[in-house]
Amino acid sequence: MRDRYKWLAVSIIAVAITFSASIAFVSAQSAQSKAAAPTAAPATRGQAPAPAAPARGQTAAPARGQTGAPARVARIGGKPNFTGLWQALTGANWDIQDHSTEPGPFYQLGAAFAIPAGQGIVEGNEIPYKPEALEQRRLNRLNRWTADPEIKCYMPGIPRANYMPFPFQIVQGDATIAFAYEFATSNRVVYVKTPRKAQVAAWMGTSNGHWEGDTLVVEVTGNWPESWFDRSGNFHSDALKVTERYTLRNPDVIDYEATIDDPKTFTRPWKMSFPIYRRLEKNAKLLEYKCVEYTEELIYGHLRKPVN
Amino acid sequence: MKHRFLMLAALSLTALPVAAQQAPKPATTASAAARAWTPPKTSWGDPDLQGIYTSDDYIGLGMNRAAQYGTRQLLTDEEVATRERTIETTAQRDAQEFATPGGNVGTGPPGHWGERARRSPRQTSLLIEPENGQTPALTEEGRQRQALYTRQGAGTANPEDSWEGYTYYIRCITRGIAGSVIPVIYGNGTEIVQGPGYVVLLQEMVHEARVIPLDGSPHVGSNIKTYMGDSRGHWEGNTLVIETKNILGNKTGIGGNGGGTPFSEDAKFTERLTRTDKETIQYTMRIEDPRTYTAPFTFTFPIRQEQGYQNFEYACHEGNNGMMNQLSGARADEKAAAEAAKQK
Repeated sequence: MRDRYKWLAVSIIAVAITFSASIAFVSAQSAQSKAAAPTAAPATRGQAPAPAAPARGQTAAPARGQTGAPARVARIGGKPNFTGLWQALTGANWDIQDHSTEPGPFYQLGAAFAIPAGQGIVEGNEIPYKPEALEQRRLNRLNRWTADPEIKCYMPGIPRANYMPFPFQIVQGDATIAFAYEFATSNRVVYVKTPRKAQVAAWMGTSNGHWEGDTLVVEVTGNWPESWFDRSGNFHSDALKVTERYTLRNPDVIDYEATIDDPKTFTRPWKMSFPIYRRLEKNAKLLEYKCVEYTEELIYGHLRKPVN
Repeated sequence: MKHRFLMLAALSLTALPVAAQQAPKPATTASAAARAWTPPKTSWGDPDLQGIYTSDDYIGLGMNRAAQYGTRQLLTDEEVATRERTIETTAQRDAQEFATPGGNVGTGPPGHWGERARRSPRQTSLLIEPENGQTPALTEEGRQRQALYTRQGAGTANPEDSWEGYTYYIRCITRGIAGSVIPVIYGNGTEIVQGPGYVVLLQEMVHEARVIPLDGSPHVGSNIKTYMGDSRGHWEGNTLVIETKNILGNKTGIGGNGGGTPFSEDAKFTERLTRTDKETIQYTMRIEDPRTYTAPFTFTFPIRQEQGYQNFEYACHEGNNGMMNQLSGARADEKAAAEAAKQK
């Protein structure tokens, strides 16, 4: 996957993927509209015969919303309801530790894509790397503009998915809780009633939940070793176990805490914490950011058939 | 991860009631029996559809109805028995540790690397509307879009010239709204999670998570188009009805894994999920895309909870060695051919 055109290719794709979600999405949309231009005048539009058969109940929606509960139910089965669209507002996807401002990789993009200073989310700010792991983190950081899996639209893993600059949706039932993330359509189900053993490693891991009072505790095991914590090369191994704690501070703010336990990489478990806010815009909806196609020139570009 | 094809082998074991409520003319009384089953309710009062389901039993059943069945939607008991024997034979072959001496052995992976049906389908085709069981003809625009699609690749011409010659599935982007539910050789799981005001359909391949609001909120603005579109749901009795629009046009269709003539951006999809017994949901999708097809059409099949079946993370793009190897293999072949030509 490495080739001599890497830097050239990364200059296009990394910009789209690495920086601003909104900018990337806008450019994605405009590329799509071009690709989707109709190939012919829609001569037959509207001339299709009337629906032949199952018209019954397919256009009217008499029961819409009537049998379902309102979207904002305070508690489910006696436990707080985390259902909703959420997003963290930290700079941690750049670096989970405190960091100063830095130039971005492309001077052409000026102020829009430089790295702003940010306060970290690591409690005490220190990550207790083992010496050899600290060296790996240094190398990762040197290679951050090519090696960060986010650049290739790989699933971000937990906890990073929770503080990427994208919203995510929680839908909470009695036995299972779905987490759907906008970035890379990554997702997971948290099993609360019937825990599941991680049978194979997965980018988004295997999540089992339980309640400690009103706090939802999720243990994530079976984590794939290649995901990173941020764009600065903070990383983990396949021994990673993440213990997440979700507590409602008020109906629109979750206090989030994650304990990172990975004895192959760190000398002791450590914690990160930050608030996650409910998206309160009218009709806010999880969209999709299928970023794969914006990485293909980067990943496969050297394998395109040369034009003679 | 190489070319994936619909498995042709047919399948089966025991009969299963089919709820053909959407059929223009329900062919049996099975649907009446199915409707009599009342699903449990969630703690907040919605019909409970939750669980992990698979459409494996309908692997290999054609979208279009074979001519011999005419307008008949259901197989006879005799036809089911024949299919069950085929499933049994296939299961026996799968269980063999070694190929039969002198047997016909291909170079591909063994068939049981994919999923198998556990019992025979009851239907003669996935399509139940129109009555003749045939996908309606393409419009002129649809034909032109199909020609463009075929020229761009989709397993024809020289897809390996570039990744752009492959389908959105082979590229690990998506199988689209219809392709993500139509049964294929594996990865047919749909996990349903419900919460107050929402249903989530988690489709195993390529890890889709469709979040469907039930609160009567309007669709997102018409300038926001996505591969999977914008879905809104409501209950009609115990049936979950999902309406989807705002898809990106010219991407995916009703072929295997979302291949085939791509839909237009004006396509509208209406899905109906009705739980017909403790293990089974009858799943139906109606497609209206007057820019592409001359008439609307509807397909249906049951999805079923099976002992031990679960979704696994289908990290398709992250592990897309298949397309990488096909592209690099094509370049290596060209290089070898060029060098051979030089030496002559």
